[in-house]
Amino acid sequence: MCHQTVSLAARHLEAHGISTVIMGCAKDIVEHCGVPRFLFSDFPLGNSAGRPFDVESQAQTLALALRVLESAPAARTTLQSPLRWNADGSWKLDYLDLTKLSPEKIAARRKEFDEVKTVARAKREAS
Amino acid sequence: MTTTAPETNAAFAAEHDVPIPYMQRTRDYYLALGYSPYRWAHFVEVPFTPLRTPLGQARVALITTAAPFQPELGDQGPGAAYNAAAKFYQVYSASTESVPDLRISHVGYDRLHTSAADINSYLPLARMKDAAAAGRIGALGPRLHGAPTNRSHRVTTETDCPELLRRCREDGVAAAVLVPS
Repeated sequence: MCHQTVSLAARHLEAHGISTVIMGCAKDIVEHCGVPRFLFSDFPLGNSAGRPFDVESQAQTLALALRVLESAPAARTTLQSPLRWNADGSWKLDYLDLTKLSPEKIAARRKEFDEVKTVARAKREAS
Repeated sequence: MTTTAPETNAAFAAEHDVPIPYMQRTRDYYLALGYSPYRWAHFVEVPFTPLRTPLGQARVALITTAAPFQPELGDQGPGAAYNAAAKFYQVYSASTESVPDLRISHVGYDRLHTSAADINSYLPLARMKDAAAAGRIGALGPRLHGAPTNRSHRVTTETDCPELLRRCREDGVAAAVLVPS
């Protein structure tokens, strides 16, 4: 949801005269929404600003985002960072991989998710 | 991993080595759990405002979806389980003079392959300060702004986005860098 939230925010700011660039890791969500400028890092979610404990990776990621901010020729400009999380990209197979979940695990995940929703709803209604 | 394409000498990347199709994976996952499909925000028209001043003279805002650390709300540290109690539901702002303690235990980051142990991997505040010091941007905004990750498109677009705009205008920024967690 984070990627959708910032996509909606970028659109709103841009429509009111503020130029924007998104730094993110979920390419499809941002592009499906449609945003002015996007620096895509093909990293696990949670690393939109670069690799952990790697200042060079973080500096390079921001530098590319700033290049996109100042030079994008039109809306829907996406630049993909050349940085790689690892050599074979096998981490991409794991996200919400249903083939690794038995019916019992799926039922347990449903229960967990219902509990999370209950907590979030109570907090939202109290805010 | 690479394989050789049939009848060519080209070495192709592995089939899986593409950007993760998050919308499809999420749809399939929650359908398997018994929920209705989620409708993702989608527009044909996209607004565009060219940067009105050179970047080296522009004041730039930082907008994040990370949450202020609240010690009374359970584990929010590196690798913490999804912590819905740590969510927030109003736009917040924090001074960029120091480094606020912001965490991402309240969102679905990739807990299998990363741990959110380094704030700089999801909040480029230090790197933006470097960029300002180097003259790459004119200045960093005086505050960073936090965007709630509501599931409701309506609340995000009708309440949170206008509030973010109001705060950005107060700060006099020409541009914004937005960073999801």
